[in-house]
Amino acid sequence: MQDVLTKSDEQIVAEGNVDSFRQDLGPFVVAAENTRMPMIFTDANLPGNPLIFANKAFLQLTGYDRDHLLGQPFHFLIARGRDPEALTWADAGFGEDAAAASEDCYHRKDGTEFWAATSISPVRDAADQIVQHFASFVDLTRHKEEQRHSNMLIDELNHRVKNTLATVQSIVRQALQKETNPVAARESIESRLFALSRSHDILAAAIWRGAGLRNIVEAALEPFGLVSGNPERIFIRGGNIDLPPKATLALGIAFHELATNAIKYGALSNEAGSLLIEWTVEPAATGDRIVLYWRESGGPLVEPPLHRGFGSHVIERGLAHELEGSVDLDFAPTGVVVTIDIPAPGSLP
Amino acid sequence: MNKSMAGRSILVVEDEMMVLMTIEGMLEDLGCEDVTVAATVEQALALIAAQSFDVAMLDVNLNGTKSYPVADALAAHAVPFLFSTGYSDVGATNAHKHRPVLSKPFQHEKLGATLTALLAH
Repeated sequence: MQDVLTKSDEQIVAEGNVDSFRQDLGPFVVAAENTRMPMIFTDANLPGNPLIFANKAFLQLTGYDRDHLLGQPFHFLIARGRDPEALTWADAGFGEDAAAASEDCYHRKDGTEFWAATSISPVRDAADQIVQHFASFVDLTRHKEEQRHSNMLIDELNHRVKNTLATVQSIVRQALQKETNPVAARESIESRLFALSRSHDILAAAIWRGAGLRNIVEAALEPFGLVSGNPERIFIRGGNIDLPPKATLALGIAFHELATNAIKYGALSNEAGSLLIEWTVEPAATGDRIVLYWRESGGPLVEPPLHRGFGSHVIERGLAHELEGSVDLDFAPTGVVVTIDIPAPGSLP
Repeated sequence: MNKSMAGRSILVVEDEMMVLMTIEGMLEDLGCEDVTVAATVEQALALIAAQSFDVAMLDVNLNGTKSYPVADALAAHAVPFLFSTGYSDVGATNAHKHRPVLSKPFQHEKLGATLTALLAH
């Protein structure tokens, strides 16, 4: 960057031109000065096309003082000042007869960069000679950020779609292996696909940024009519802690398996049983943990299963493998008690 | 049926448990009884440093993190491996471009054939 304290002769001349420029153009200068579109004029007769006018909007966009900016060559503004491509484009804009437009990256006074759609057009005198160039800028910073976010979402979605298909493959495979009865196999597949689908629904509602723990629990129980239909039997206590997408899916599937078991064999298989789901955040040496209890009571006498089914497997392994959590499934005679211990957000893998 | 994995040990690096269960089921069909699993790059690197494997299967994307450091470690330990991915283009780094790639969802026969080919070398 040029030393602004020792101005070259060209810069001094360019600055001297500013006053006459203002006087010549009169009301147009006032309009250009006050428009919200950032714009500059440069002197075509001096090497480097130094700036001779910059409006308020341009000063706001770039953070420079007018005194600092006027007299500087146009290249001074370009963030990738050493990038031949960017410089070639700028030179082409000043050299050509026709207007040039491009998206380019500039830098502000504080060093941060911004993208702007830039259009450069020549200004001619009475003898049809190019005496100045007029450049206007449309700030694309926000647009570029949105573009980056949407690219990230598309990547995530591509990954998610293929993993979902692999998950469906797993669900179908398990059901066909375990269920000899085609109707039972179909029901098992359908109910797990719906559970997966609902977990996706709550993620989609949060634009794939994750979901609240309370929302995850309620979404898993809702299809069984458990939340709205049984306020006196189902108690949910705990804050709506925000969890990332991975935890949302893993917990959604786990709660679905637990609810299915409770309805088929547990506290929700009769008219008297009840279910309490509660969680707290507890500090630990390795970071905060979410400790969640699923307590069933008042159901038929619980008999421990002879072998671990798909559901237990999904819950125990899913949370341990994907969330570095631990799960304790206690088939106590008075009611199933499940303790889920996972790292709290921020500590989650 | 292809039982090429009988008596062989495999490291499966995959972060999604449901996907992992499919892989395990398929490996069981291929006669494999020695399956070690890892969900993160750190877990996988620790396992590779601690024990030896005949072959490995590596998901390119582990919860948003690329698993190339695991690929480097497997190559350094001369463990043959394949990539699994959800993407049609893997975008593997140049060092691992020649490795076989299986896309999700998995084809049972293709997994068996790829593992057989890896073990034959």
